[in-house]
Amino acid sequence: MKTFVCIKYVPDTSEAEVKVNPDGVTVDSSRFSFDINDADNYAVEESVLIKEAEEGEVTVVSIGPKQSDVMIRMAMAKGCDQAVRIEDDRIAGYDPLMVAKVLAGAIKGQEFDLVLTGCMASDDWHMSTGVAMAEELGVNHASMVKKLEVLDGGKVKAYRELEGGLMEVVEVELPAVITIQTGINEPRYAPIRGIREAQKKELKVVSLDDIGVDPAAVGPDASQVILEALSIPEVVSAAEFIEGEPDEKAAKLASILVKGGLV
Amino acid sequence: MSTECQTFTEKYDLLGCIQCGRCTGGCPVTVRANLNVRRFVVDASYEDKLEELAKLAEIWDCTACHTCAVRCPKGLKPLEVLLGLRAMIIESGKVEPTVRDALQSVLLEGNPWEKSRAARSDWMEGLDVKIAEPGVAVENLFFVCCTIAYDPRVQATAKNIVKILNKAGVDYAFLDESESCCGSEVFTLGEEGLFEMLVEDNTEFLNEYQAKRIVTLSPHCFTTYNAHYPDLNKPVIHYTQLLDEMLKDGRLTWKGDLQKKIVFHDPCYLGKQGGVYDEPRQLLKNIPGAELLEFERRRERSLCCEGGGGKMWVESESKKERLADTRIKDAKALGADIVAVACPFCVLTLEDAMKGLGFEEEMRVAEIMELLGEFVEV
Repeated sequence: MKTFVCIKYVPDTSEAEVKVNPDGVTVDSSRFSFDINDADNYAVEESVLIKEAEEGEVTVVSIGPKQSDVMIRMAMAKGCDQAVRIEDDRIAGYDPLMVAKVLAGAIKGQEFDLVLTGCMASDDWHMSTGVAMAEELGVNHASMVKKLEVLDGGKVKAYRELEGGLMEVVEVELPAVITIQTGINEPRYAPIRGIREAQKKELKVVSLDDIGVDPAAVGPDASQVILEALSIPEVVSAAEFIEGEPDEKAAKLASILVKGGLV
Repeated sequence: MSTECQTFTEKYDLLGCIQCGRCTGGCPVTVRANLNVRRFVVDASYEDKLEELAKLAEIWDCTACHTCAVRCPKGLKPLEVLLGLRAMIIESGKVEPTVRDALQSVLLEGNPWEKSRAARSDWMEGLDVKIAEPGVAVENLFFVCCTIAYDPRVQATAKNIVKILNKAGVDYAFLDESESCCGSEVFTLGEEGLFEMLVEDNTEFLNEYQAKRIVTLSPHCFTTYNAHYPDLNKPVIHYTQLLDEMLKDGRLTWKGDLQKKIVFHDPCYLGKQGGVYDEPRQLLKNIPGAELLEFERRRERSLCCEGGGGKMWVESESKKERLADTRIKDAKALGADIVAVACPFCVLTLEDAMKGLGFEEEMRVAEIMELLGEFVEV
């Protein structure tokens, strides 16, 4: 099984205060910590589990700065075999279609069975890069996959978690792109000795020119998306504290739920 | 494999054990978990048992309190056998997600709490804190600790000491956000490679500062630097030792009247591992209106709160009473109004126990610096 796993280096915005820069379209990331996108971490684990069960090799593909090398080395410490990091400031990174074209460009022309990636990224939440990449590569796809089984005859069975808790089970012919939902497995820890050992594995740093992608086709001019402004949601207070004895509180709460059409 | 076993047996001097049982006899965890450290010392000398032993859940019950090491007549450290077994699991990568995230956070951000390095010195906001610079001479170089730096519940330890030092005109400086985890919990969780890296990096980093000594706020940093950093070029003390010196020199001016009974809980990393017993008691005795009580289990026999040994990230499988609950019940039985501690982990575990037992109205868990913040003029 030859697998590519696409991962993204994202800021953790859960702790630090998010501030929009004066340009209005970027945020101040100086106080953020960065790490692998959560869903991509599960994709890495899934790719390694498949490799351990089926043999084969896993290649990491990522678009990002040099600082993201630590994330890539961690993936290699867990069992990925090699990596390609695309570093090029001509990419319209805010547009998932442009990102998909670049990632697909790094994979095209090589044999593969599976491309795994997280079903969403925790910075922009577009949830579309994976399926767009399948279109670019001209292969099948299954998104939001919570369980994946490799079948005989060049197929996988993918369990897609849909709205309302529905599970859709589909058989997908390979090659295919699978976007991985969190919870599909339990990502392992990358021990520091493993990370050091992974320094011996190949991490190629390439530009758009190196992978044969026309910069004009993935830049701001090619993008259909115009990022106009970013803003922090207005903080409004809508909490109501229910006072009284337990039975009074219960009655008031029930009345609120009924009036609101929630029960 | 036989080479590996030789290394394991030699590393922990397993053949030096005479099976006297003092380790298990004193281990505080045995009352609540299925942990028999003496058994591990024997079994770990069989090479074919190591992998099986590493899979046993109880290896994660050890709190690294060091009671077994203190009691061992042969000078062995039985607990480190358990840490060695943990290391085997860590190397496989298949650890609890909480442990994984804590260790990864130490590597990426220099703290186990998954907080951004940039926010490490946010606690200083609004305070006049002197910041250390490499090469600029200072008498006392302060090392804050990850937990005190980030957890609002225990930040008062750092904030109050700054105010007291400023008032007393002590020559001091704090490290800024470039300070990184000492690795205490990394060591006890068994991440040997990461711990080696921290020892190397922190030694180089701290040796660049021209200070007479390092003063730590947490006993975990205090003991870790003293026990595992052979190449540090300056001595390391705990803040209670510095404040005790200031007390003796008459540099602390007391105020107020507490009129409460305080019992001091000896933190394992300060007492039985660091040998510091009297200084915290001297400070507490001098609080106006304070009556100092003593636990029956005190000093080197102090009962562990279960906050060390990486236990902040590993839940025990045992559902029996937590040692922190036992400790708080003992304090209640003594008639103590305040359980005083000198360790951020002890504050968190004992306060949780106190709240869980419903004693919040009548008792208080306080870090010594919280009390000094209230009763020393600043």
